[in-house]
Amino acid sequence: MTAAGPGGVRLEGVVKRHGATTVLHGVDLAIAPGEFFVLLGPSGSGKTTTLRILAGLESVSEGRVLMDGVDVTTQQPGERDVAMVFQSYALYPHMTVAGNIGFPLKMVGTPRERIDEAVAAAAAKVGIGHLLARTPGQLSGGQQQRCALARAIVRQPRLFLLDEPLSNLDAKLRLETRLELHRLQRSLGVTTVYVTHDQEEAMTLADRFAVFIEGRIVQVGTPREVYATPQTVDVAGFIGTPPMNLLPARWDGDAVVIDGARLPVGRTGGPREVTLGVRPADLRIAERGLPAIVERVEDLGDSAIVSFVAADRLLKQKSDRLPDVREGDAVHLAFAPDAAQFFDPGSGARL
Amino acid sequence: MSGRRTFRRLALAAVAGFGLAVWAFPVLWALLTSFKTERDVLAYPPKFVFVPTLDNYREVLFGASSILPNLWSSLVVATAATLLTMLIAIPGGYALGRLRYPFKRASGFYVLATQMLPPVGLIIPYYLVLQKVGGLDTYAGLVAIYLTFSLPFAIWLMVSYFEDVPLEMEEAALLDRAGRLRALWHVILPQVRGGIAVTTIFVFLNAWNEFMFAVVLGGNRVRPVTVAMFNFISVEQTQWARLAAGAMLAMAPVILLGIFAQRHIVKGLTVGAVKGGGRR
Repeated sequence: MTAAGPGGVRLEGVVKRHGATTVLHGVDLAIAPGEFFVLLGPSGSGKTTTLRILAGLESVSEGRVLMDGVDVTTQQPGERDVAMVFQSYALYPHMTVAGNIGFPLKMVGTPRERIDEAVAAAAAKVGIGHLLARTPGQLSGGQQQRCALARAIVRQPRLFLLDEPLSNLDAKLRLETRLELHRLQRSLGVTTVYVTHDQEEAMTLADRFAVFIEGRIVQVGTPREVYATPQTVDVAGFIGTPPMNLLPARWDGDAVVIDGARLPVGRTGGPREVTLGVRPADLRIAERGLPAIVERVEDLGDSAIVSFVAADRLLKQKSDRLPDVREGDAVHLAFAPDAAQFFDPGSGARL
Repeated sequence: MSGRRTFRRLALAAVAGFGLAVWAFPVLWALLTSFKTERDVLAYPPKFVFVPTLDNYREVLFGASSILPNLWSSLVVATAATLLTMLIAIPGGYALGRLRYPFKRASGFYVLATQMLPPVGLIIPYYLVLQKVGGLDTYAGLVAIYLTFSLPFAIWLMVSYFEDVPLEMEEAALLDRAGRLRALWHVILPQVRGGIAVTTIFVFLNAWNEFMFAVVLGGNRVRPVTVAMFNFISVEQTQWARLAAGAMLAMAPVILLGIFAQRHIVKGLTVGAVKGGGRR
């Protein structure tokens, strides 16, 4: 994708060092105008640093940041026409909700009446139109979050940055707000970069997302692509609830051998040592296959997750029905031949 | 549970009461003395019941040894020192607390290091310097000397208040196109209002109560009330009642400011405490 229309973003070879430690090792990224793009990764992986570099709050040690084709690497945050929602919301506690939302307009000398109009419209859009006279301290966590959103959308920026905006909300509110956020982004059509460590948020919100691991982007793609074909063991072990089962195996022709058990696979290859990956949903209990002991059965009501110990590894199986096994049962595990994925045990790269 | 809580409250009240008694006794004793005649002052055993008189106050305010000019001197010196201190300490504290610039640690340490010298050791150098520049017994001279100890104190107090403001709040203001100065003005300073009030009051009180530099570097023209009160103690006799009345007058603004400051200290601690507004 190329950054052609308004709101396109490009990072070229961005390196960020804090003293002797390198936080980002050369990040390249292109985000299309209007795209909902998620930066996903565990904490300390560099995703928030990347977002802050886009905001202009962090400088880069090497590389360039382009917005709409213009190099903004050295521009101040206020010059970039970007808005950000912080994890802590960072509301101004001494101002009312209306004052908070109107602040970015006031700072560029927008006339009073125009500010009032825009504030009312933005507040209505996120459903806090009735709270304008309150101060942030008088708002619930969810309302504060909406206030921060309204402050970001009020000036119609070309880029919308969100740093784990849902992490301070309780589980139920988080799901509701997630949906609303998605709808809001679609209705505004603003390019959005969203940071999260929650792969479920990435899967449900993103048009595309980038997986960050230890300061590097290891994969960029649509949720479906990344889920179906993770490019490294790390990505495979990060995406999915629960994530992919990974275990050492010997790939020998049209089968893998694990602990002496031979299981057919869809691709022929080898003979060589591999890391075998199988999604929990693809694993099933069978007459024959890999011998395993049932470790734990978790009944989630509409589905069930069963943990097994096999080949000294903990494997998880997800099914929509509660299987007829008990903890301690000896069973055999199998999977559809096409469900097997292979990774290099040394580099972790997909084979 | 509630029994234990009651006990804890009582214990706390007892400790606080004891502390208050120890602290307040000299003040209350001076207050009583200020309404006594010199005869009652010297009575032994001390009198707690006596006919109160306002003569001492009349004398120290309007008599031959009036301390009114000295109260004025104190007010001028303390106010000027406080204003100048805060004018420098607010931007200075912000810079040390927030900005990144070369030699920041060194300059921060330097500011603090000036506090490490015992003031007594500085009196003679200060005297010589002021003598050279004609600053002895002038307001400007005394204010300049007061700045040397009030500034480091005020700067470091302000640093701690600025550091308490979540960094993200300032970053949000920068992204909202405020720029550094307007972010400071519209977002940061309102958060540290309480801190500014507390610092201002501390600086003022330190200057108001200062004695040692004032007695050496002041003179006939600039004689703060702390020095003037010394006149009630002479070789022949000590006028305890007048000294007490003068002390009461000198203490009044201190106590008033203390009561005022108490409210602001609490406010300074709670302002900016929005739920979820913590620092990372």
